[in-house]
Amino acid sequence: MTIQVKCFATLASHLPENSDEFPIEQGDTVRSVAQRLGIGEEELHLIFINNARADLDSELSNGDRLGLFPAVGGG
Amino acid sequence: MPEVPATAPRIIEALWERAQPDEMPGGPAPMLSCADVSEVAERFGLSGWQVEAAALSEGMVPRRYSRSMNAVTPAQQATILSTRVALVGLGGLGGTLLDQLARTGFGRIHAVDGDVFEESNLNRQALSTMKTVGTPKAETAVARCAEINPSVEIETTNAFLDRDQFAAFLQDADIAVDALGGLRHRLALQEAAAEAGIPLVTGALAGWTGYVGTVMPGQIGPASIMGTDNSAEQTLGCPAPTVSLVASIMAAEVVALATDRPASLSGNILVIDLDSGSFEKVSL
Repeated sequence: MTIQVKCFATLASHLPENSDEFPIEQGDTVRSVAQRLGIGEEELHLIFINNARADLDSELSNGDRLGLFPAVGGG
Repeated sequence: MPEVPATAPRIIEALWERAQPDEMPGGPAPMLSCADVSEVAERFGLSGWQVEAAALSEGMVPRRYSRSMNAVTPAQQATILSTRVALVGLGGLGGTLLDQLARTGFGRIHAVDGDVFEESNLNRQALSTMKTVGTPKAETAVARCAEINPSVEIETTNAFLDRDQFAAFLQDADIAVDALGGLRHRLALQEAAAEAGIPLVTGALAGWTGYVGTVMPGQIGPASIMGTDNSAEQTLGCPAPTVSLVASIMAAEVVALATDRPASLSGNILVIDLDSGSFEKVSL
């Protein structure tokens, strides 16, 4: 199973090389994937899976697109 | 709907005396110059937006809006002219928004910012120029708005508002716009707009990443999830292309709300990444 991962703004440095085919296992959640990417939970503000808001406990499925977005407030 | 003064028949008569036929997409239309509008407004003691709304209701077209006419119908333009917008922030997003809202013809804009233009604003803030560095943003906004569209009634407040003051600021507005810099006060503004029962259009950015959302009263909005602490722009900065793009999408949402078209971002957040050229609409 693989997912597509996108890391935005300051999280871009955590983007893995295999971001388009990032391997996951049955039962993997946003939390476990973020941990593998070295992203602290406190850095995650907007999490989305396939265009819907998700949270740290959301489970991931094969082919999902995961977006990880930090606090952004510039104007 | 536009507020029609008691002198309406005499105003209409004065406008018809001045209107000249000119080409429009649907054929020739009676058109009014900016000078026509100013003269009639002055003669009857009205604001330009009131005169323009009256003209549109009679089938006349103020020339300054003539190139919007396939995208904004005359009836929609009249509605925009009578819409009151509360704009919080006159920096990067706010400066571009003010420019676009004034050109689009929002008749009454109340804007607030307590800041003074600095050299570090010049990379992105549309109202900052070599001439305006050192000048209060609120003061510059009034002058710029008058240069662009004197039909707009603009009022500015040279202050930084806190949670308690947002309610009073939004009191007479139809639409609230969050063009704040930083996250600190955004949630308070979102909550104040909800309490006032009006929609809020919000947007923010850091580097080549940004987002825009429209929050109807009672909906969850970006400020509910972004927190109020330090955010990514403090390291990634705010470059002009991202600022202008985010502000433009916000302005399009304000136009949609004013004209009762579906606000495509209501209950959603549009996530923009100019590094990868991606736009993703995410439901909140």
